[in-house]
Amino acid sequence: MHPFKRFFCGSSDHPGVSRREFLGGSAIAAGAFSANMRGLECFGQPVIVDQLKQTQKRVILLWLAGGASQLETWDPKPGRSTGGPFRAIPTSVPGVHISELMPKMAKRLHQHTAIIRSLNTRNGDHGGAAELMLKGRRTDATVPYPDLGAMMARELGRADSSVPDFVAFYSETEGRGNTLGGPGFLGSRYAPIQIFEDPIPQDLRRLDEVADGDHQDRERLRNLLSKRFLRNHLASTVQSHNTAYERVKGLMSSEHLFNIENESQYVRNRYGKTQFGEQCLVARRLVEAGVPFVRVARAWWDSHGQNFETHLELVTELDHVMSVLLDDLQERGLLEDTLVITVGEFGRTPQINASLGRDHFATAWSCSLSGCGIRPGVVYGKTDLDGMTVTDGEMGAGDLFATIFKAVGVDPHQEYQYGARPIPLSDPGTRIITDILA
Amino acid sequence: MEKKIELKIIKEISRRDILFSMVRIPNSERLQVGSSDFKLYGFDLSHEQNEPISEGLAHESYVTGVAGTADFLVTSSYDRRLVWWNMESGNPLRTIENAHQRFIRDVQASPDGKWIVSVGDDMIARVWEAASGRLLHELHGHSIETPHHYPSMLYACAISPDGQHIATVDRIGTILVWRSDDGQQVAKLEASEMYTWDPKQRRHSIGGIRSVAFSPDGLRLAVGGMGKVGNIDHLEGKARVEIFAWREGERTHAYGDNSFKGLVESLAIKTKGGWGVGAGGDNSGFLMFFDLADSTKAFRDEKAPMHVHNIKVNEAGDAIYAVGHGKIAKWTVST
Repeated sequence: MHPFKRFFCGSSDHPGVSRREFLGGSAIAAGAFSANMRGLECFGQPVIVDQLKQTQKRVILLWLAGGASQLETWDPKPGRSTGGPFRAIPTSVPGVHISELMPKMAKRLHQHTAIIRSLNTRNGDHGGAAELMLKGRRTDATVPYPDLGAMMARELGRADSSVPDFVAFYSETEGRGNTLGGPGFLGSRYAPIQIFEDPIPQDLRRLDEVADGDHQDRERLRNLLSKRFLRNHLASTVQSHNTAYERVKGLMSSEHLFNIENESQYVRNRYGKTQFGEQCLVARRLVEAGVPFVRVARAWWDSHGQNFETHLELVTELDHVMSVLLDDLQERGLLEDTLVITVGEFGRTPQINASLGRDHFATAWSCSLSGCGIRPGVVYGKTDLDGMTVTDGEMGAGDLFATIFKAVGVDPHQEYQYGARPIPLSDPGTRIITDILA
Repeated sequence: MEKKIELKIIKEISRRDILFSMVRIPNSERLQVGSSDFKLYGFDLSHEQNEPISEGLAHESYVTGVAGTADFLVTSSYDRRLVWWNMESGNPLRTIENAHQRFIRDVQASPDGKWIVSVGDDMIARVWEAASGRLLHELHGHSIETPHHYPSMLYACAISPDGQHIATVDRIGTILVWRSDDGQQVAKLEASEMYTWDPKQRRHSIGGIRSVAFSPDGLRLAVGGMGKVGNIDHLEGKARVEIFAWREGERTHAYGDNSFKGLVESLAIKTKGGWGVGAGGDNSGFLMFFDLADSTKAFRDEKAPMHVHNIKVNEAGDAIYAVGHGKIAKWTVST
């Protein structure tokens, strides 16, 4: 068990995490760290530089933490006992209906977005399911797999980039630990800049007690000493050290990207006043500046009680923010090269409990892909009349990941080398769903 | 002296649907019940058989409210429709499409049966002439958005026994009282503890004021919902009722230290005995009885066989009828 992946939401759907389990997990984490370092060495800096190509592809992951209901979003079942109170509305794609809570996305479906209604991921535990949907494969105690953000950072990032390769927002505290898996064997070079409460990452800021002049003087001195040292010690590790410093300088200069006050009031109003809206605006600023992977988490969808009230709040927000984000990306000419993934760790039960809630459900649920490499208007897969089972086009997490990689021009069958072991980006046997791709 | 009340459940009817709303035909055992299967069902609890005696379909979503006059019934729904039904034949008489721009949560009939009021998530209360369906007044005053920029919801309404006032209650804990003849707002009260916004862990809310009732003298107003919640994934806050002397703008009672958790979905206050009852639930259900002479604690909590969505008390105050998640139940009451 990974220490960050198990998480207890208070539901009887799954047990809690004991102190003993937590402490045991921490020990494993320490082991995983040393494995990361071996992973970093196995790539070697020059090889990484050669492999990192400028592809100009970007990915934004809208992570619906806690598990959004497919019935109140992409796969409504109006008139069935499982259907809930909300109607299905027609979309801009003839014959395709989605929940009435998503009128803005309904108008845009033909432009950018494909819906997948046939995920069967078989894991209804928050921690395990989040790991599965963030890494595309099940946990293997012998391999610290990287998550999607780290893989995309490596595949789509540029060695000479002055902006971060992977930025992850998660402001709510519930379920945050489920997303802290990070780069795994790819190493800390591909770890995200994590943003929690503060909208601008504090680690990028020059310390207040160091004056700007002092900061620059220190950098000049470090450069001088470093060059002198390099003259007598030609080694890749020394070069790597200098490269790392240059990268830090670049990251520090990207602080302005996180400040939405640099945007016009008109643009800020478009995204709205919610934190999720503001973070998606930052995400657009980041991908526009060249950040290859941004994950914006919106928690917490875990509606064991009052599912319909919760979804009335959260889907309304998602519908607005997602549609504005897609419009904005398109208007700026970015959407063709930016893939927007909207998914959480699982869906919710078709059965409605006595608290008018829906519980965890990973057997037949939905997600969407928009933009780069996606054939718009496609609805892939099908569930039965009550939404209990997938009846056509069943997809697992690995299939989704293989399709995502392909959409942004990354070969999902290429392999990393973890020690002596080749590790493909997507597990063997996973399928690229070409029906969804442009 | 602490009040005592004896309860005995004497009828239970199991159902596969969720029953949200109810009107009881006066001085009878007949109930008209709104369902999650979009239908309006008639039941007669004096019958031995538990099957409905009538059913009608005129909605396309959950039937959230049922109001009755001497001649007809009016139902409300998430489908934004109000439907008038013939009391005798059980057939639909009139449908007002888009009576509200958003989901309709409740409908009530005035004591003289001349007008009805409906509330919906467009945050407007609308007063309609019962006989014609003509719109008489629109009552604007509830905020469209919560303070945190999410859609608000207008959950319930009540009419004073003399028909002169209407009370409406919303998700963020606002209670507005209106004059029924001209639609003017005459009072604004707050039960802010029932707005359960979680700013840190989950960043959404659950709860709101779900029920409202006037006292028989019309001077007090009871509102029901749920108190503070730790984990808003679940209905795990304590059931809560607050009483206001609404003309004075004063909260006189707060019953928040109850043994049951969940929402108070429905309320009734009786003259005889001076007690009130709230009903609701989480994954199970409850009835909580409060005494208007004691301002702190419900004097009797009773487990219900289901999460209760609506209750009615009969004229004599010796029977309670409840509908809810998969069940209809009736208790006898003795004091």
